[in-house]
Amino acid sequence: MDFLVAGFIKAVELLINFDQGTWSAICATLRVSTCSMLLSLGAGLPAGFLLGYFDFKGKRALRTVLDTLLSLPTVSVGLLVYAFIASRGPLGQFELLFTLTGIAIGQTILAFPIVTAITASVVEGIDPELKLTLLSLGAGKKNIITTCLWEVRYGLLAAAVTAYGRVLTEVGISMMVGGNIKYHTRTITTAIALETNKGLFADGIALGIVLISIAFAVNISLSFLRKK
Amino acid sequence: MYRKKLISTLLILAILLSFASLSLASDKSLMMATTTSTDNTGLLDYLIPHFEQETGIALKWTATGTGKALKLGQNCDVDVLLVHAPAAEKAYIKKGYGKDRREIMYNDFVIIGPVSDPAKIKGKNISDALLTIKNHKSPFMSRGDDSGTNKKEKLLWKNAGIKMPDQEIWYVQTGQGMLATINVAQERAGYTMTDRGTYIKYQAQQGGKAPLKILVEGDKILLNQYSVLTLNPANCPRAKYDLALDFSNWMASKSAQKLIGDFRLLGQKLFIPNAKQL
Amino acid sequence: MSEISYKLNHIQHYYGDKKVLDIDGLQICRGSITGLTGPNGSGKSTLLKIMAFALKPTHGQVWLNGRKEFVLSPRVRSKVTLLTQKPYLLKRSVFDNIAYGLKIRKDMGDIENRVKDALKSVGLAHGDFARRQWHELSGGEAQRVAMAARLVLQPEVLLLDEPVASVDTKSAEQIRKASLAARKNWGCTLIIASHDLPWLYECSDTRISIFQGQIFSTGTENIIPPPYDLSQKNHPVKWLGQNEKSEHIHLAPGKKNNKFAIIQKEKIHIRLEKEKANGWENQITGQITSMVMEKNAELIMTTIQAKDFFIDISLSPDQAENLKLLPGKKIILMFSSRDIEWR
Repeated sequence: MDFLVAGFIKAVELLINFDQGTWSAICATLRVSTCSMLLSLGAGLPAGFLLGYFDFKGKRALRTVLDTLLSLPTVSVGLLVYAFIASRGPLGQFELLFTLTGIAIGQTILAFPIVTAITASVVEGIDPELKLTLLSLGAGKKNIITTCLWEVRYGLLAAAVTAYGRVLTEVGISMMVGGNIKYHTRTITTAIALETNKGLFADGIALGIVLISIAFAVNISLSFLRKK
Repeated sequence: MYRKKLISTLLILAILLSFASLSLASDKSLMMATTTSTDNTGLLDYLIPHFEQETGIALKWTATGTGKALKLGQNCDVDVLLVHAPAAEKAYIKKGYGKDRREIMYNDFVIIGPVSDPAKIKGKNISDALLTIKNHKSPFMSRGDDSGTNKKEKLLWKNAGIKMPDQEIWYVQTGQGMLATINVAQERAGYTMTDRGTYIKYQAQQGGKAPLKILVEGDKILLNQYSVLTLNPANCPRAKYDLALDFSNWMASKSAQKLIGDFRLLGQKLFIPNAKQL
Repeated sequence: MSEISYKLNHIQHYYGDKKVLDIDGLQICRGSITGLTGPNGSGKSTLLKIMAFALKPTHGQVWLNGRKEFVLSPRVRSKVTLLTQKPYLLKRSVFDNIAYGLKIRKDMGDIENRVKDALKSVGLAHGDFARRQWHELSGGEAQRVAMAARLVLQPEVLLLDEPVASVDTKSAEQIRKASLAARKNWGCTLIIASHDLPWLYECSDTRISIFQGQIFSTGTENIIPPPYDLSQKNHPVKWLGQNEKSEHIHLAPGKKNNKFAIIQKEKIHIRLEKEKANGWENQITGQITSMVMEKNAELIMTTIQAKDFFIDISLSPDQAENLKLLPGKKIILMFSSRDIEWR
């Protein structure tokens, strides 16, 4: 039990002393999660809108597949991405293995179904009166799409927060694709896995506290956004 | 309106930054796969800055079990290997995956267990000790991850004429790294086999008062040889063979060998350099 | 008042297999205010959506200003606007809600004052009302903001679907004033669907009643709604009241399926007592529920209830005076079954 207390003290120490390893892991985590979130939002929001807004054949099947992908194990995504970007893989020439870009690709694959599925649900839940109202105010197709998305912005924010939580805390992809290389691809979660593996539970706890703090900060700033 | 512009500018900036920062400088860099023991003990953190300073080659490494490290080399995902499973290494070269094998250093494996030593193995030779553990059905933690240590442990069971006890209830396969496995052994008050370096590191963490002690040591078969392997350019034409050879030579150089010999924890040497000078 | 704004040709609309609208022809004059009445589910909202070009009818065409138009046509987008039954306010401030239509038209000149004028026309210009958020409004205020969001566009045609169904009397009055001002100020053509007949009669020039998807008259007729039965002598009758079969209306012979019984307003007479052998076999006891001055006509629109049956008749002020008619007064409705048409 005492390593919990030790972990807390250690966390403060690591941050105040600007421990190079800790800060590089924090930076790597933030970079890679920001990148994967931007990619998955960029692709997932339009995809989710199309899926939620239009009716077409096979929509239910697609939703079922998407909902299944919500429970993708991170290690499976890691393995899949590894297979593609390993030097013998079809994308081997881009040398993405053991890079943050590689991790970002994997995390994008992880987050995309979350963003898409939640966006689709949110868009499906849009009041039918909204479209009618927009039409009657003279909105064109483009206005309708953008206004609809803006109307459900809080729902979309929830999609982003959920996806961010998953991306921020995953360890399987970062470990398998990133290789946990110190100062390069070591993220907070892989560092926690390593410290725990080494039996340094206090260091693991310290990094865990740092991770939770980041998540907390992100959510605080988003809820501030929400109030406005 | 202004707020919208500001937000979109910030967004674009964030995208550019996150992409720009993802690409790594790659002019003279080497990717190594190594075993958890060299990384967990802190040897590489101590050694590699010297290498980078002297040669100007940036070295990155991923620490995994020897089994996976060999696989990464076979798939050309890395440029060079630092591993410790001599028999597997030799077979690896024979199959055409590896090219040069340079012995760098060794430490040895030991059997550790609770101070109370419930199976009474202290001082026995390794085969007798394992037989006693088996008959006593004392908990024994195995890495079970096909790492160099795990390969060695399997060899020891075989050598003692004991059928692999995979299915036995007292035989626990952790599937984790060495230190994690030692921690499991400590929790379960069981025995395990570890390399001496990791054990010293474990002792250091426990402030020298570790509840697990060395009970069996010194057999010749317990020797743990670490070697640098370069990959066969015929198999991996894109792997940086020349830089890998530079690394191999540097590790065997007198200065590096001295550094390895000087690396201590709790006043104890973790690795003993033994590279043959060519 | 002679120029034609709308022309509907053979409009039919289906929801699935169910036909909800069947209008052979309808014309609306420019600058007129037309009241649209009819029970729930009669097709009022569907008709308004089709006229707003927010819904494509299954069959038929809608002509506006002499051109056949369609959904999302750029010509109608800036001219026709609909205030739906439960208007949706965007999750923004009142100001942004009202300015939305102008912004998507890229018509931003003097936007502050125009929004303010629109708010003023619905009686909401006080204080910093425009800064309020969408969730800080009462039902009546929300309806008026939605109305203002249409008025600010100065549309050529304004379609209002039950604008006063769920608002307070003050809001209803403001919406009426704003509707009349819209016609006065820029010649707006209005079509207003409402259940509130007294309110509707105060704002509209003409009425159209719609029943089961079909249009009946333009304010001069009453529908005797189905179901219809046959009496023991095989005459068609309409029972009044839900279950008690005590009183009925004698209908004209010749009942056919899918036809409705219609009677002209002028064929209905009001008496205070029942009379014998006057040739009017229908003598129904009813009670006056409302009396409203009709706009543009020196007549009093009087609504009479007999059990679950409502009927409107137009009376001259003299008539009302002579019979001393007042809301609440019991009277006898008299009419002949021969004056009932099947249509």
